[in-house]
Amino acid sequence: MSAWRQAGLTYINYSNIAARVLRRSLKADLRNEALKRDESHVRITPWANGRPAPRLNKQTNSSAL
Amino acid sequence: MVVLYSKMALAFRGTLRTLAKRLQVRTYAEAAKGDEMALTFAAGNKVFYDKVVVKQVDVPSFSGSFGILPKHVPTLAVLRPGIVTVIENDGKQNKIFVSSGTVTVNDDSSVQVLAEEAHPLENLDRGAAQEALSKAQSEFSSAGNEKAKAEAAVAVEVAEEIVKAASA
Repeated sequence: MSAWRQAGLTYINYSNIAARVLRRSLKADLRNEALKRDESHVRITPWANGRPAPRLNKQTNSSAL
Repeated sequence: MVVLYSKMALAFRGTLRTLAKRLQVRTYAEAAKGDEMALTFAAGNKVFYDKVVVKQVDVPSFSGSFGILPKHVPTLAVLRPGIVTVIENDGKQNKIFVSSGTVTVNDDSSVQVLAEEAHPLENLDRGAAQEALSKAQSEFSSAGNEKAKAEAAVAVEVAEEIVKAASA
């Protein structure tokens, strides 16, 4: 069993890290475009009584490392 | 005498061939003919091949690096960071670095390589890769817990592979 598996990481975690490192290793002109894929945005709208709640919650998930 | 023997041999071979045809036996030369391998190779950033017929695909996987030719046994494997080599029908070699993903070989000889991130070798920057490597190394040595250490170790492993690929 590989060390990362033993430490509780999944292949999805592994894949995310690998992709992130690869994006950082691109030529400068391509890198900036690629780094945008590092981030993912999740917009959450809670619903109550069949209507969207007034509070709109925007979350940004920027991966660490 | 010699002429007679060779004539007999020819006749014998002819008989064998008709017999094989009647019995629907596939000889080696026939089996290799007419087999095509349709490759689909895509990543989150780009589609490289869409059902394009190619000669051979070499992939790095956790079950070892292997080459895929038409009529390969159906297989599933997870990719490890490294170079996927596609040998196109005209013999041209295309080398693409993949971060991770899956490779599927189907019964009909079609192949799917799906990567999270993939770039042709010429798009890699050796300096940037080296920078990513030293960053990962320092993160590894300063990692506070088991998980952070494992994450940094993966980053080191991948960065080393990219540096190697970019230097080639």
